[in-house]
Amino acid sequence: MSVIAADRKPASDRKPVSDRKLARAAASSDRRFAAISHALLILWSVIVIVPMLWVLMSSFKSTGEILSSPFSLPDHWRFENYANAWTDANIGKYFLNSVIVVVSALILVMLLGAMCAYVLARFEFPGRRLIYYVMLAGLTFPVFLAIVPLFFQLQNFGLLNTRPGLILTYVAFALPFTMFFLYSFFRSLPHDVYEAALIDGAGDWRAFFQVMLPMARPGMAAVAIFNFLGLWNQFLLPVALNTDQDKWVLTQGMAAYASSQVYDIDYGALFAAIVVTVVPVLLVYCVFQRRIAGSVSQGTFR
Amino acid sequence: MATVTFDKATRVYPGSTKPAVDGLDIDIADGEFLVLVGPSGCGKSTSLRMLAGLEDVNGGAIRIGDRDVTHLPPKDRDIAMVFQNYALYPHMSVADNMGFALKIAGVNKAEIRQKVEEAAKILDLTEYLDRKPKALSGGQRQRVAMGRAIVREPQVFLMDEPLSNLDAKLRVSTRTQIASLQRRLGITTVYVTHDQVEAMTMGDRVAVLKDGLLQQVDSPRNMYDKPANLFVAGFIGSPAMNLVEVPITDGGVKFGNSVVPVNRDALKAASDKGDRTVTVGVRPEHFDVVELNGGAAKTLSKDSADAPAGLAVSVNVVEETGADGYIYGTVEVGGETKDLVVRVSSRAVPEKGATVHVVPRPGEIHVFSSSTGERLTD
Repeated sequence: MSVIAADRKPASDRKPVSDRKLARAAASSDRRFAAISHALLILWSVIVIVPMLWVLMSSFKSTGEILSSPFSLPDHWRFENYANAWTDANIGKYFLNSVIVVVSALILVMLLGAMCAYVLARFEFPGRRLIYYVMLAGLTFPVFLAIVPLFFQLQNFGLLNTRPGLILTYVAFALPFTMFFLYSFFRSLPHDVYEAALIDGAGDWRAFFQVMLPMARPGMAAVAIFNFLGLWNQFLLPVALNTDQDKWVLTQGMAAYASSQVYDIDYGALFAAIVVTVVPVLLVYCVFQRRIAGSVSQGTFR
Repeated sequence: MATVTFDKATRVYPGSTKPAVDGLDIDIADGEFLVLVGPSGCGKSTSLRMLAGLEDVNGGAIRIGDRDVTHLPPKDRDIAMVFQNYALYPHMSVADNMGFALKIAGVNKAEIRQKVEEAAKILDLTEYLDRKPKALSGGQRQRVAMGRAIVREPQVFLMDEPLSNLDAKLRVSTRTQIASLQRRLGITTVYVTHDQVEAMTMGDRVAVLKDGLLQQVDSPRNMYDKPANLFVAGFIGSPAMNLVEVPITDGGVKFGNSVVPVNRDALKAASDKGDRTVTVGVRPEHFDVVELNGGAAKTLSKDSADAPAGLAVSVNVVEETGADGYIYGTVEVGGETKDLVVRVSSRAVPEKGATVHVVPRPGEIHVFSSSTGERLTD
């Protein structure tokens, strides 16, 4: 830019000036755009973050404080709210149930989903498209319609109100999405790396677990996070299929806790329970958000 | 160390009636470097993949040594392959990439490490052993792919255009390295390329394929001097051989105003088929330019005494490569215009747009049947 301007100077003195003006105009329009977009982003962040901070703050207050001065800082930090929620409201037990059910389901669905997607994506066999479309149907089928048949099916299997029953349901619920996401991922992986593994002496199993699966790691991480968020927040399925109070998951416990104290609500403990429910999701998301963004772009711009 | 035999090996892709590789018959000697070459879609890669076990064999057999491997999976064939895109495992370090096959074979860790380090030393990769393939240049990745093949000490190396992703200069130097490495290790190698220069410079023998059919297997020298048919003649050599269809006359063929003597048996073979013309192949370096004191012109008999000898070439482009000059011109033969390339000395190149007369040197012409394309002279 400056070189060109210097070259032109003898020919016309005005040109570089107008060039500079243009540049300045462009820069100022860039700046205006940046300012507006940042203002919008800040607004959006405030909308999202403030309620969360408010919940966090309120979880350290007493009920009286919350009702009389909802926006002030707590006069002293009542950590006992957490203890109350954890023990009195059984949040601890439900938390453990949630962890057991979601983590088991997650491991199973990732394993099965990856294997299923891999075979559908990379092997030719009769019935391949049929299986694929059945999976597609599974993805489009609203879970509400399946609730009643699911209930009786689990009852017949003797799995109603058991953790394995809920885990299996979660696996079935999350499998189509997992399979679809990984299907496109496995499709995009180079074919010759698989062939190189075969020539290096790997069988199908080893080629899958030691070569193809590690290559699909970014995709696996992304799906695992989506599944974790979805299953952790799952409410409808446990409400219908997991009615034994000892086996409740967090969402059920929360709902029951909120509605059980109609007149004498311990708001502080309630907010503490909410924080306990939300924090694992937030944590998982914050730790892996880079991965999610990365894997989506990797899937598209290979 | 082993021989490799393609015994009428045939591959028909599902949904296609025409075979991609049709009755391929090649015997490759122990320690030989055989290059499969041909235009894209000729079946050269398919042949290699059949040998690797990555492609089914629909007919015939493939043997490595005395073992029939026709229907064995790749892992039981004791082969190593270098892929065009190298196919390195992206999540493994260079050392793990090279040692993967040994790890699967159950070789102990210390021995793997030792073999990998030996190979790395040969290939100048020692300082990169802990890197991931992502952090390597194209040439280094290519060497890792080579290393992965040599640590295994397999019976056969398979290479599928391993140099086509390198830049021109690196390609030439790597070409020599691969050839000398192969000679040193003495492992039977089958190498696929579409580049005839690569084929001619690297191979002990070259096999030319077209449309799934083997055209000729021979040493590079013989391939160049005695192409078996018109396709091989046009494919091998750069710039390509000039192929001109000319009428048969008494004792030879009529080349413009000159009569070039041709072996009687060859002419008889052509006329027995009912042909009145033959296709004459002349390499660019085997033309003499009449205007530049072409020695061959004086020895040939002329049709009309007052006209200059040979074919009149109007010069379109002159390329000077330093050592030589190449004339790219057009001639009129039998009412058709043909493109012709003639090599001349770089000290005496004609002007663009000029007309020169060329005659082939009598001993250096190749005569092919116009109807079947087969070679008639020996």
